[in-house]
Amino acid sequence: MIALAIILTGIGSYTLRAFFIFALSRYTFPPLLLQALEYVAPTVMAALVISMLTTPEGALDAGIPEAVGLICAALVAKVTGNHILSLTAGMASFWLLGWLL
Amino acid sequence: MNTAPSRPAIQGSLDALPLFVPALPFAFVFGVVVAEAGIPQWLGWSSSPIIFGGAIQVTLFTLIGEGASVAAAVSAALIVGARHMLYSVTLAPKFQNQPGWFRWIGSYVLIDQVFVLSQIKPIDEPVAFRRYFLSAGFTFWALWMTCTALGVVLGPAIPPEWGVEFAAPILFISLMMAASDRRDKLAAAGLAMIITYLSAGLPNRVGILIAVISTVVVMMLLRKPRP
Repeated sequence: MIALAIILTGIGSYTLRAFFIFALSRYTFPPLLLQALEYVAPTVMAALVISMLTTPEGALDAGIPEAVGLICAALVAKVTGNHILSLTAGMASFWLLGWLL
Repeated sequence: MNTAPSRPAIQGSLDALPLFVPALPFAFVFGVVVAEAGIPQWLGWSSSPIIFGGAIQVTLFTLIGEGASVAAAVSAALIVGARHMLYSVTLAPKFQNQPGWFRWIGSYVLIDQVFVLSQIKPIDEPVAFRRYFLSAGFTFWALWMTCTALGVVLGPAIPPEWGVEFAAPILFISLMMAASDRRDKLAAAGLAMIITYLSAGLPNRVGILIAVISTVVVMMLLRKPRP
């Protein structure tokens, strides 16, 4: 049964990714739609961050260390554009505050 | 903004590496979930090549571990993965001037990080785009196969109080900043965060889709006509 669940999910997740790539392979995208699609990357990433910090019941599952870690990571990412530095700053401030508080 | 790198295949791999580091703890979280669900290690790992999507795999096995039916676990996992449809729409224009085999194989490696890389580094030249996309995608693929194998073996040994899984939201906020190269995109990201929080109690993380779609609609209604 578990093998069946894995295979079904595999087929499903491949279909999610492939569907529009195939369905729209000859479609001429109007400029308005192309402009709208520019917002997909920042908004999905933003939604994922919050989704990971909330419980399935909708409660916030983060405190001051998480908030400071995210702010540090965001600032370092904006200034340097380097994801490793951003990760280091975020995790270091998160661990430091978790240890202090 | 066409920034075609001179060696797209090498650049794709190099750009993928720093984004993989935060996925490493997630591979260990995956290992813990597989162990807690009581699933054989090899069977849990087989989801890496078959599904290739961390959050989808973790959702599937969490629900199976909680005793959910196959239908319930599969549909919840796919709803969590539904954001990939947005990636598919967004990248569809880039896949138009490409050979058919690339649509088949490229779709398989269309994960969060590969999508964001393709948005941060827009490459208009079809051959360079294809090489960059595939090399970034399969660099992630090889690393994810290796690290989830380590994760199912070693994951249960990592002390949960280290909080290593916090690396995942850190990665995504870093990617969010990289993808917000204009003020209106940053504003959109902020609005999406608020809507996701307000809809966080809805089942199967469907709030992610609601937040993205409603934010895009709001941004289009507010936009100023561009020259």
